[in-house]
Amino acid sequence: MIRSTAVLVFLLADVALPAGSARGEDAGGREPKRITFGAEAVASIATDDPGYFNDTSYGRSAMRLARLRLDVALRLGGRASILAEGRADNGEGVTVAALYLRLRPFPERSFDIQAGRIPPVFGAVARRTYGVDNPLIGTPLVYQYLTSLRSNSLPASADDLLVMRGRGWRTRYTIGSTAWDRGLPVIAGDRWDTGVEVRIGREPVSVTAALTQGTLSDPVVHDDNDGKQLSGRVEVRPALGLVLGASLSRGEYISREAGRVLTAAPPGESYRQEAAGFDLEYSRGYWLLRSETVVSRWDIPQVQRPLLTDRLGSWGTFIEARYKIRPGLYTAARGDHVGFSRISGTLYGGLPTTWDAPVSRAEVGAGYSFRRNLLLKIAVQRNWRTGVAFGARESVAGAQVLFWF
Amino acid sequence: MVRLPCALLFILAVAVATPFLPLVEVPAAKAAATGTVRGRVEFQRDQAPAERRPQVADIGMPGRRDVPDQRVAVVYLESAPRGAFEDRAGPTVVLDQKNENFVPHILAITVGTSVEFLNSDRTYHNVFSLSKANSFDLGRYPPGRAKAVRFDHPGIVRVFCEIHSHMNAFILVFAHRHFAVTGPQGEFRIDGVPPGAYTVSVWHPTFTAKSESVRVPEQGGEVEVTFVLS
Repeated sequence: MIRSTAVLVFLLADVALPAGSARGEDAGGREPKRITFGAEAVASIATDDPGYFNDTSYGRSAMRLARLRLDVALRLGGRASILAEGRADNGEGVTVAALYLRLRPFPERSFDIQAGRIPPVFGAVARRTYGVDNPLIGTPLVYQYLTSLRSNSLPASADDLLVMRGRGWRTRYTIGSTAWDRGLPVIAGDRWDTGVEVRIGREPVSVTAALTQGTLSDPVVHDDNDGKQLSGRVEVRPALGLVLGASLSRGEYISREAGRVLTAAPPGESYRQEAAGFDLEYSRGYWLLRSETVVSRWDIPQVQRPLLTDRLGSWGTFIEARYKIRPGLYTAARGDHVGFSRISGTLYGGLPTTWDAPVSRAEVGAGYSFRRNLLLKIAVQRNWRTGVAFGARESVAGAQVLFWF
Repeated sequence: MVRLPCALLFILAVAVATPFLPLVEVPAAKAAATGTVRGRVEFQRDQAPAERRPQVADIGMPGRRDVPDQRVAVVYLESAPRGAFEDRAGPTVVLDQKNENFVPHILAITVGTSVEFLNSDRTYHNVFSLSKANSFDLGRYPPGRAKAVRFDHPGIVRVFCEIHSHMNAFILVFAHRHFAVTGPQGEFRIDGVPPGAYTVSVWHPTFTAKSESVRVPEQGGEVEVTFVLS
């Protein structure tokens, strides 16, 4: 059954106060104060997703999202700006998805500082925030799919974890919170962390680094474990149309709620998520090709037998292509997979088994622009989850209308 | 909100009226005596150039770019002599892309003209238009290269870059050759206008279009018109 998520009407604006009368705009210190707005309205409908393949860390399906967003940039001369993004998803009230100060202390140098709730430096997908940047409707699995791991509820043994394989949309363990809740994605693509980041350089090489409160899989506004995440990215543009990026991150992910129960943990012991990623974008003519691979591992406490002897690993990769068929019309496809490392318990015959069920997705679709800022997308995806009885495979079809200013 | 009436007026005047020629009968023997419609377009307020959408997901300040001069308009004869429509062999003109800006921001051409979209930037551009009369998409192409589009239908063509959302330009495709793009001081000059009565209109992307009636005398000469856009 196709279920409509919402009907959208949005007040849209894109203004400048006061108008810049100069013929040249630069990043120097001569710019007047001005405020600009950008807005986007997204409405999606999709067939049922009983296997929760598209659920996000906010508990919403990426295929059934009605989103109103308003972006604001208040430019305070050429050296500072305040940027913010407000969202209202599925009519559930407004949240501030981004709010930070952007500084360029030396106007003629490519050195920028941002502080607040900031865009992530890791990878490329999480900074593609406008809907038109995604040629399909679904989000790459590594940025969206919920694993069975949580930050505030931990498995005591390998069997505890194996029981929850493939149940990232609703999981719980015995250490910490015992309430049912969503698991962590490898990277929470639609939530931003809080902290400070710097960028040096622009083209052909730029380096960014960030110190934030949360982790890739669990970005937070308020620190919940006294640990910080350090992440960085190097971006190289060796040729026109080619962007290569390499990213690293390391941060403590277990919340205070679960951590205080770990009485067996030696003083100073910390449990981290570490990740490395490589991304690529190539475009030429009517083609756009993107790919990204992320390897992540989480420290996990050893509490009860059968012990979780190794760190929990995952790797995710996707490749995405878009081709423009004619003015306003394109087609796109994405192949996607997230795999997990193996652990051994007493379940599954005691054989080494992936700690979560590997998941794959193939999504194809098309987009048609009625106007430059009015886009209709349709997409069909096929999802597979390996080694589980429930929700092993399913197809989801959806449509999305996107309007922006 | 203001653009729609301008566009409608323009299309009605130029595109729709074209099949109903002759609009002004000009005896061939007198065609040699032509006049000039000249004057100025004055702007009573400044117009802000198109802004970038706030790039909240970017890390760091956006790069340098140029912004187009907003005090440019197009003046044209809504009704033109028959001979004006026979001159269909348009030349090739260049619409450049420099510092993330289309130059010129407003281009006026006759039907049949080819426009070369030159990339003089240091990055890819992807010029496209979804205008009904002349839709096209040139794909992404590198600096130093140009791709051409021939415009075979009169109307207003809005041009964008897919990569840089703040880049936009207007191409006004006329069925006749009696039009002019205003100069730096708002001045314009339409030469070679045969004697007769005409409606002269001014078009601007955001200001409301205005029209004036003029008469070019039998002996030719200059007729002056001033438009004030507010």
